[in-house]
Amino acid sequence: MSFTDLLTPVLMGQVLLDGMSISSIYILIALGFTLLFGIMRVVNFAHGEFAMLGGWGLYYLYGQFNVPFLLAVPLAGAIVAVCSLVFEQFVFRFFYQKMFQSMIGLLGLSTAMIYTAVIIWDAYERQIPPAFTSTLEFGESIFGESLLLPTDRVVVFLVSMATLAAFYFLIMHTRMGLGMRAAAQDVEVAEAMGIRTRTVYRQAFLLAIFMTAVAGALYGQIYFLSYELGSQPLLKAFIVVILGGMGSIPGAALGGVILGMSETFLATLFGAAVSNFVSFGVVILILIIRPWGLLGKPE
Amino acid sequence: MSPQAPLSLGAAPPRTMPGAGLLAISALAGAVLLAWPIVFQGSFLVYIATLVMQFSIGACSLQLIIRTGHISMSHQAFVGIGGYTSVILVMKAGWAWHFALLAAIAAPALAGAVIGPILLRLTGKYFVLVTFLFGEIVRLVFIDWQSMTGGSNGIFEIPKPYPWMNDPTAYYYVSLGFAVACVGFCIRLMRSEIGRAIDAMREGPNLTECAGVPVFRIKVVMFIIACGLSGVMGSLNAHMNNVITPGNYGPMESLNLVVMNVLGGMTNMAGAIIGAVFLIALPELLRGYVEWQRVFYGIILIVVMASMPGGMVELLARLRSRLTGREAHLASAVAAEGRT
Repeated sequence: MSFTDLLTPVLMGQVLLDGMSISSIYILIALGFTLLFGIMRVVNFAHGEFAMLGGWGLYYLYGQFNVPFLLAVPLAGAIVAVCSLVFEQFVFRFFYQKMFQSMIGLLGLSTAMIYTAVIIWDAYERQIPPAFTSTLEFGESIFGESLLLPTDRVVVFLVSMATLAAFYFLIMHTRMGLGMRAAAQDVEVAEAMGIRTRTVYRQAFLLAIFMTAVAGALYGQIYFLSYELGSQPLLKAFIVVILGGMGSIPGAALGGVILGMSETFLATLFGAAVSNFVSFGVVILILIIRPWGLLGKPE
Repeated sequence: MSPQAPLSLGAAPPRTMPGAGLLAISALAGAVLLAWPIVFQGSFLVYIATLVMQFSIGACSLQLIIRTGHISMSHQAFVGIGGYTSVILVMKAGWAWHFALLAAIAAPALAGAVIGPILLRLTGKYFVLVTFLFGEIVRLVFIDWQSMTGGSNGIFEIPKPYPWMNDPTAYYYVSLGFAVACVGFCIRLMRSEIGRAIDAMREGPNLTECAGVPVFRIKVVMFIIACGLSGVMGSLNAHMNNVITPGNYGPMESLNLVVMNVLGGMTNMAGAIIGAVFLIALPELLRGYVEWQRVFYGIILIVVMASMPGGMVELLARLRSRLTGREAHLASAVAAEGRT
């Protein structure tokens, strides 16, 4: 396909929607990552594995038990988040405020979770059945030919946006969110002001895992479901968080949009290999020039 | 470290004559290593020991970087550069292996010289993250440069360096020789003037800089040396396995080298070797239960990092302090950082 063929408004519109839906998934994953880092100073290398659990949750709820899709996604996220409190109690708790140890310890958790998944579910790829197979058509009067949008991508975008909106509300407009923001700024002062950091940590953990699991469920439905599901999302979360600045919530949103959009457009125009190289290269460049990211604060 | 030496903050003690105990231990270890392939002639254990030799080179060279205070997650990428260089030169250009080995040292060292000065400006978590990504990029290059590297399938039917090295025992002795040379070089380096400067600049970079030590230059030079040494492991390993694939050189495999250092304790070459023995021998002996041993590996990592971040060396120090009644000194700044 040549360059000019692609530059029609219709195709661009489709690529744009693709980019938007993938961006929103990246943002969800990266927000969880950045939340854990910002509040607990934990670098969660096992993040992708919680996304994988979300995928399995949707696989069973929607694929096996036929729970309606729009209910099954948040339900899968909630179940995974609540069950993951076990990990909080027995693993994460020991790594709070210990950045270096958390990296290696949680890589250990990641390995253990991946291979436990292989033992339980074997190593073959599965498909989560598609929820919507139709396409939306519109815009014929504007462009001359109609814009075809796959409904499932639109739904992915809307579901992630709803989750993001709920997250924003929780963080900015509730007492719980206030506590989290306080703990993120300075744990000791927050404790001195009477904030129970133990509770705040637990709430933040639940929120982070919930968002990751929802994103993982959506991701698993778009691509595939297997023990390997987590590795790509983790890498993306990394890049997004570095781009935006570690621990910065608006930074994660900005980074997610930049990565998702540039990846989709580059991949369409030049192929996946080029898009990978460019995104890694740009991130390394940013890290060298501005290690604290686009919207982060220098330490 | 002998008990008489003051337990300072991980710095190498002043040069002393090795004590009788140390000499006895070295002699015993040397005898075991030399006798190993004769005792276990033709068995799988010789192969495992050869692997341990090769990974000791990787782990000890990585420790040269870690000691400067940078935890590199792309070391295995440099091992891969060395391996691919050696294999391609031998198979496509028809070089003799000893020349290819020199190139396999030069190539990663050159790559380190280019990338090191850029990456080493970063510290702490940023260095970890950026080397993680760099390792991923190198892996992608190995995959996408199909005409040279054979893509994700890699290169097959790699010949042994010399025909007489088809014998596993011969390969063992060659690896042993290289391991002793490389590890000995690392140990000697860390006990020299430069080694003390390195330990000082990890604990207090600004202070060391003020004392007139060219901190950044030493870091870059150590990075280059470490990358060059890692090429030895790459070449030996690729020619032994007969096959080289990109999957062996990603960030997760680099992590393995880091973990060897972490398990053993990061401020002691002996720790890196203990870690290599533990991490290579255990999985190879439990081959029938791959999934379970990976799960145990993960759990061990969690437990070690949660309970004794200083590794086995810290464990020994604690035991010693329990015995002598003195307070244990933390051997590593990284461990100390974890306490806060």
